[in-house]
Amino acid sequence: MSETTATEDDGLLVHGSLMMGYAQACQSLKIVIGRDARRYIDGLEINRWYPLSAWRSLEELVVRHYAAVGPILVKVGMEMMKGWYHLGPGRELITRGQDFLHFQTGGGGFRSVVKGPPERVGTFELAYFDPKRGRAVVRSTTPFQRQMECGVLIGGMLAPGDIDYVDVVNDQGSNLLEVEFH
Amino acid sequence: MSDEERAARRLEQLLAHGSEEAVARLEAPERRRLLWKYRGLLRSFEREQAFWSSTTDNLVLAYERLDERDRELAAAYQTIHEDLEVAAQVQKALLPRILPAMAQELELAVHQRQLSAVGGDYYDFFRLSDDRFAIGVFDISGHGVSSALVMSYLKAQFMSVTERLGSPQRIVEWVNHRSLEFLREIRKYATVNFVAFEPQGLRYVCGGGYGLVLRGGELQLFARPNHFLGLRDRSFSEDVLPLGAGDLVCLFTDGIVEARDANGRAYTTQRLHRLVQQHGQRSPQEIVDAVLADYEEFRERDTDDVTLLVMRKRDG
Repeated sequence: MSETTATEDDGLLVHGSLMMGYAQACQSLKIVIGRDARRYIDGLEINRWYPLSAWRSLEELVVRHYAAVGPILVKVGMEMMKGWYHLGPGRELITRGQDFLHFQTGGGGFRSVVKGPPERVGTFELAYFDPKRGRAVVRSTTPFQRQMECGVLIGGMLAPGDIDYVDVVNDQGSNLLEVEFH
Repeated sequence: MSDEERAARRLEQLLAHGSEEAVARLEAPERRRLLWKYRGLLRSFEREQAFWSSTTDNLVLAYERLDERDRELAAAYQTIHEDLEVAAQVQKALLPRILPAMAQELELAVHQRQLSAVGGDYYDFFRLSDDRFAIGVFDISGHGVSSALVMSYLKAQFMSVTERLGSPQRIVEWVNHRSLEFLREIRKYATVNFVAFEPQGLRYVCGGGYGLVLRGGELQLFARPNHFLGLRDRSFSEDVLPLGAGDLVCLFTDGIVEARDANGRAYTTQRLHRLVQQHGQRSPQEIVDAVLADYEEFRERDTDDVTLLVMRKRDG
């Protein structure tokens, strides 16, 4: 049972496992360095819920250092899912790349690591899915960076190894993540 | 490994090392898959390229920031350097000039070298209430600007009291009492060696300092029973040594005697005592030169401020 110790000042809470996954991905990609980052990351607890502001601080560790942060966030998302699948529970939960789309947009994915008032938690829904054409659309209104979510979908779908091609595109400002997979 | 994974691996090997003939032999679904695998690799390559491009931009940004910080640091260092030069000049200006009464009674040689631009070793000459004079030698904890400022503070304290009180004990106690709270607050303390010259001898308070008298070829070392200035509000004790014409007085801080050679051995007070005894018949300046030459040959490097005063009581 996870313990809620964070204040609910912003109403939204992010689970420590997501924070930890993000932090470890950043460390693994060597894009977060320095004393401040280490101090922050070393203090994370996997079973705690953190206020959204803590997540924002973690994001800021990356965002503030890059002029063009989009490709970095995509890689972070991919790296997170690589860890989740190969080192975490992922392999037990999905066997095919397509499964990840359903998993992530269902109760086990996004919903398990964010909680708070529904209007603030947002949604991560599979709006369209055509496996024959290899097309899907995910509508996301979560508080997270869309580029990172693109990376999460790419990394999660590629992880089982049965899909040869995955691309996820998000037009800036849009809540739609357009997925192509073959 | 599942069939799916085995098939994928086969295609990857084909892409990496396969011949045209092997590709031509593939069935239609495999050829289709090979195409997507190829496109997947291309897309992956593009993502990697975008990632590294951002990383390189970040590196450029980091270098630019580093360069900016470097310029700021250089400017700050220049300001500090200029301030230190002024501070060193001020500290030099605060060094005492020999008093007429002293010049009549003593032949004096002084060497002082601060480890940094300004330092914490401090010596001073004081006129006492009954036309006698005194010499004070102090070593303030630490080095650098903070110690130099404490030196100025202590100088002001001693100057304000030496012409009112006669005995070294009362003078040092007064300064210690007045300074204690402040020195504790800034976590500084100072050794003290305050020596008043009298017609037949010298009267001194020694707390952590070093002193000796060479009289008739015999060394008489200063007793060091007292605590440092700024540590506790207790009384100080005063000691007396006889001093006649031709006798030598030597006062110094720990800079020389605690210096170490390349093997980590300390210079020691005994070595300095022997040297003073050996050169005891020479002039104070020659004795200072001899001690310094020996110290410089011995020590691996300077690690502390050095202060050495050697004086001989003149005839009459």
